[in-house]
Amino acid sequence: MAMKTDVPAPSDPEPALRNDGRRGGKRPVSGHDRGSLLARFVRGQRNRPLWMLLPTGIAITVIVIVPVIITVVLSLLNLNVSTLREWLGAPFTGFKNFVNAFTQPNILGVSLVRSIEISFVFSILTTLVTTPIGILAAFSVHRRFRGSGVVRAIYLIPYVIPTFVTALVARIAFANGTGFVDQILGDLHIANRNFYWLIGPHAFWAMQITEIWATWPFIYLLALAGLQAIPKEHYEAAALDGATMGQRLRHIVLPELGGVLKLGMLLSTLFHFGNFTLAFVMFSSPPPPSVEVLPINAYFNAFSSFDFGIASAIAVVTMVILIVPAYIYIRATRISEGG
Amino acid sequence: MTVTASAPAGARPGAGRRRGASRTTPGSAAEQLMPRWLTRSVAGVLVVVSVIPVLYMIVLSFTPNQNVALGTIGLAQLTISNYTSMWSAAPLAAGLVHTLLIAGASALLSVTFGLLAAYPLTRFKFRGRAPFMTVLIGVQTVPGTTLVLPLFAVLSWIQTTLSTQFIGTYWAIIVTYMTFGVPLSTWLLVAYLRTIPRDLEEAALVDGCTRLGALRRIVLPITVPALVVAFVFAFLVGWNDVLFASVFTNSSTQTLAIVVQRFANNSAASLPVYGELMSAAVVSSAPVVFLYLAFQRYLVNGLSAGSLTGV
Repeated sequence: MAMKTDVPAPSDPEPALRNDGRRGGKRPVSGHDRGSLLARFVRGQRNRPLWMLLPTGIAITVIVIVPVIITVVLSLLNLNVSTLREWLGAPFTGFKNFVNAFTQPNILGVSLVRSIEISFVFSILTTLVTTPIGILAAFSVHRRFRGSGVVRAIYLIPYVIPTFVTALVARIAFANGTGFVDQILGDLHIANRNFYWLIGPHAFWAMQITEIWATWPFIYLLALAGLQAIPKEHYEAAALDGATMGQRLRHIVLPELGGVLKLGMLLSTLFHFGNFTLAFVMFSSPPPPSVEVLPINAYFNAFSSFDFGIASAIAVVTMVILIVPAYIYIRATRISEGG
Repeated sequence: MTVTASAPAGARPGAGRRRGASRTTPGSAAEQLMPRWLTRSVAGVLVVVSVIPVLYMIVLSFTPNQNVALGTIGLAQLTISNYTSMWSAAPLAAGLVHTLLIAGASALLSVTFGLLAAYPLTRFKFRGRAPFMTVLIGVQTVPGTTLVLPLFAVLSWIQTTLSTQFIGTYWAIIVTYMTFGVPLSTWLLVAYLRTIPRDLEEAALVDGCTRLGALRRIVLPITVPALVVAFVFAFLVGWNDVLFASVFTNSSTQTLAIVVQRFANNSAASLPVYGELMSAAVVSSAPVVFLYLAFQRYLVNGLSAGSLTGV
């Protein structure tokens, strides 16, 4: 994207400042007079203190960008407990970690392919279920009514409760025989009281239900913000033309919400894909194999069996999977931000 | 219309609220999107589903441990004793202090860095501005597990090289939370500063004020609300995190989330103390819920900026 088009006009400050700024920003064509260059730089910094970007620039470089590069390096090294501390001198093994990650199950007996599968199902299913709930929720409080403020606040509660608390409540609510889920299902004769939600294959569904409960308000918030941005005049024009409720939905609301919802679903999928806390806290440690999402797999490889090379390979695989959605997200945000 | 484009309007003090309110005034049936019965039933079902687990947590927090363990919960045995006994059952008070220190310090640093960066990003046109913004958005898509491994490797390498203890100190965890706090607060403050008219600053500049002087005297006072919002969101990153705290803290720095999580795992091994666990859970979530509800107008902006980290 061309930089000139997406930068908002810089306030049209007085011409002197602007010219000075331009000169300060340009690279020297010839570096023959360093003295005046320095003076110019100092003067430029006084009017346009670009040094203020340095703390954030350095912080992001040192604590995000460099670590990401190091992850890629680590994934190519033969690392274990003893070589980790001197990882700079660890032997290079090429793609052996990737091969091992894909072919050998980790200490919990879960292969990388299985974890990728679990993560995909978990994140996509959550987004598919939460999107219609979120849209309906937004529709339900779009028009104010008596008590709508309270309803809006209550809608937020599942989302704003810290994930580790949600996970602990879920652990007790799904506890075998004694939690309220088993008790209610048992009393209604829908399922056996001993459903064993927290172990074996059922654990995945317990986690799935909990994630849906906790995250639908994310889509709701975005959909509501999108609804509020639709100008009132559009509805009034539709009313004059005698549009029915269905036509209003199809021709006004859904086209306007489309963009927000697409971005929201993308964000939501990315977010569920990276959810480490729920599986880590909701189940006893180590969690059952059916809930071993990618972050959990990487974590236990790194901090239980100290296979840092394999853990880093899994992290790299995660990044590769996320590159396309991340790219779409970055582009969408850049366009809206520059528009 | 996208998520982030809607944000600045909501972040503007006063104006956003007034406009939002006028858009949703009742009365115009033209804006009705669903039949009334459907609106009512959706709202009813969602309110009940949202509230039941929360009420369950609150009731359990007033129920003795053995009743929770046996699943015999009733209004008859409610007691407040969990809220007094839990402090000695797990080092919750220490965890609370550590969380306040760690999340507070990292939020303060993040907001400072964010304000410094957001000002030139919204006021000047310069080479590298667009890539800087792109990186700012891009780093928010990096999953936490991808950062925790290399940060651990780097920190343990620094430890070995300098033969000092670094993992487990406050600094290690404060720095790691800044991986989320800095991009988050920079992003929030960019969205806010963009909405502030420049006339006042320019008047000050004409009067001979320096750029920094204008920032301090003119911009800073009107940016206070946005600074508070950025601080709260950056603070909650630290409050809610389990992943980084489980790796980078030890018993003398462990955060509330870790204390509560270990408490749950330890009590699973011996006699379950789930009543006390739930009172600890209530104490851990009440301030967060309160803060979010107080700042709910800014939620959309904050969430879309910070929702990718998986923390």
